Amino acid sequence: MESSNSAWIIIHRMRIPILVIIITFAISITGLMLIPGRDGDGNIYHFTFFDAFYFVSYMATTIGFGEIPYEFTYPQRLWVNFTIFLTVIGWFYGIGTIVALVQDKKLARELAVARFRSKVEKITEPFIIVLGFNNVTKEIINKLNREGIRIVVVDKDEAKIEAIELENYIPEVPAISGDTTKPATLKLAGIHQKNCKAVVVLFEDDIKNAKIALMCKLLNKRVDVIVKSTTKENTEHLRNIGIRHIEDPFKIISDRLYFEITAPYIWLLEMWVFGHVLRIRKREFLPKGKYIICGYGRMGHALARALERAGIEYISIDIKSSDYKKKKQSAIYGDAEDIQMLLKAGIKEASCIIAATKDDMINLTILSTAKKLNPTIYTIARENSLEDISIFKSARIDKIYILEQILATYTYNFIAHPLANKFIRLIHKKDNIWAMNLVGRLRSVIGKNPLLFEIQIDEEEAYALYNELIKGRKITLEVLKRSRANWREKNRIIFLLYEYRDEYRRERVLLPPDDLEIKANASLLVACDEEAKTDFEYIINNYYELHYVLTGRELTTGILGKLLAS
Amino acid sequence: MNFQKVISGFFFILAMTTNFGFFYGDPSSIEHHSKWELFAAIIVNLIATILKLGDKTQLGSVLLATSLVADIQLIGAASVWALASYVFGGLDLESTVVIISMSGGALLANVVSVLLFIGDTLKSKR
Repeated sequence: MESSNSAWIIIHRMRIPILVIIITFAISITGLMLIPGRDGDGNIYHFTFFDAFYFVSYMATTIGFGEIPYEFTYPQRLWVNFTIFLTVIGWFYGIGTIVALVQDKKLARELAVARFRSKVEKITEPFIIVLGFNNVTKEIINKLNREGIRIVVVDKDEAKIEAIELENYIPEVPAISGDTTKPATLKLAGIHQKNCKAVVVLFEDDIKNAKIALMCKLLNKRVDVIVKSTTKENTEHLRNIGIRHIEDPFKIISDRLYFEITAPYIWLLEMWVFGHVLRIRKREFLPKGKYIICGYGRMGHALARALERAGIEYISIDIKSSDYKKKKQSAIYGDAEDIQMLLKAGIKEASCIIAATKDDMINLTILSTAKKLNPTIYTIARENSLEDISIFKSARIDKIYILEQILATYTYNFIAHPLANKFIRLIHKKDNIWAMNLVGRLRSVIGKNPLLFEIQIDEEEAYALYNELIKGRKITLEVLKRSRANWREKNRIIFLLYEYRDEYRRERVLLPPDDLEIKANASLLVACDEEAKTDFEYIINNYYELHYVLTGRELTTGILGKLLAS
Repeated sequence: MNFQKVISGFFFILAMTTNFGFFYGDPSSIEHHSKWELFAAIIVNLIATILKLGDKTQLGSVLLATSLVADIQLIGAASVWALASYVFGGLDLESTVVIISMSGGALLANVVSVLLFIGDTLKSKR
């Protein structure tokens, strides 16, 4: 009965009005039948049940067809006069209750819940639950939705849910308002469903995140929880409860800065996965001189750690945005005292300054002040909110770290491109020379801007190849590189990562060799150009194409084919 | 004493007794059956139905079902009566028998309802 809560609310509210209508009808009908009337000739007659019911029905609803079957006598009219008030009041009471029901918040909520539940239950593809609708998750939802990945959203704010409905996502993104820290809400969002693949928990508050993550794991062990955590203790705690994917935006930035300084080509490969062109622009090379970090909070500490690991000299100025605004009554950095502080920190001979406070305005003004003092200095800014992006773009800052965007792209990548995500983790363990060679190979074989995509060799994504492998045929990666036009020629294609896993083992090969034998259900990360991608997709999906690149001959089928072949 | 039980019990049993009052008598002659009693049975049955609404328990559902059966049968009987006398030109033996036997069916449903109600009350410890 759980599903028809709304029906129960209606029934419950309508009980008394219906009771009132029945009783007033009964009284009116009885009275009409008892009181004698006169027909056209003056003979006495009594209303039958049918006459009485008919008359009361149209009288009570104020339709009023008049006095039938004969004109009423005065005793009858007296009674009718009384019953008019009786039944009309009963009837209006009922209608009033219905109108109140339509506006009832509780009922509207129940109806919304029922609609949401049926929408979630109808999703047959794998789907992701996103908790909270804000700048970060909005970016994630936009990207995932464009790839056709199904998403369910829960936010505690009713207004935000309405905002989602106005976005007109296709496929639809069901959304409901509710307390995200309650198990009932998560169950409503379908966490129990077999096709629920992941829950995204990226709230500001670490403790809230940890609590929800734990709850998700308890409700459904198989579900992937993507959770944000900015402190070491919290991350440790989350790992202990078995959460694999923990996102710490500060650690991500710290790693990026470290690789950017020590191994720019590893950084380049990582950025390429996220959509950067496969080339380092001149102004993207970081200087190796002295660094100044303004703002020594979580972000400042993370950057300092990166610089320490890279062996770079740095000095930090502790600017707390909230304290600064309180003390100076402004968010504009750069009065005489501030300039003195920068000069003392050695701004004149420093080669790079990082503004990493929590306030975008202060960050901008720190950098403009620094540029006045030292025009050649390299500037890096932390941008806190995606909404300020246009101001930052016009401020001519060399490098901008946008926390919200970093969080969004990492989450998106984890959900939509799991193999690319693993690729990044693997290349982090390599050195700059290795990465430079790979970049060189990618550029010489494929070109300036190779496409990157991943496929799983299963019935859905690689029909022909999968079936051929299931039959026991041995196919190597080299076959997949062949051209559809001429099987002796190669397409411009490089396999970056090969992964095969079943219950017993996991096989992962970075830059797999050509003679690697493919297994069914393996997955591949592929870099290639547009033409090679089309060829590749044809070959793995189409029997005839696959047969051609395997043997160099056309596949013949059917009687006609056999006749022609013989 | 549970006042709510008194009221609902009153209507459930009254529904059965008025139903019986109409049903009792020679099934082939309409003179033995008062139209007033049928009217009372319909009204009381409708009230009993409304009282049973909104109870989410298993027993509540079965009670509601019995009441709905009784309503349909009694209103069916009244409709046959109205049809026969106004549309087909007077009651004949066949329609009389139909009216009475339909009310008999309703009586059976009402008896089941009252039995369930009493059984539930006996089980209750308060």
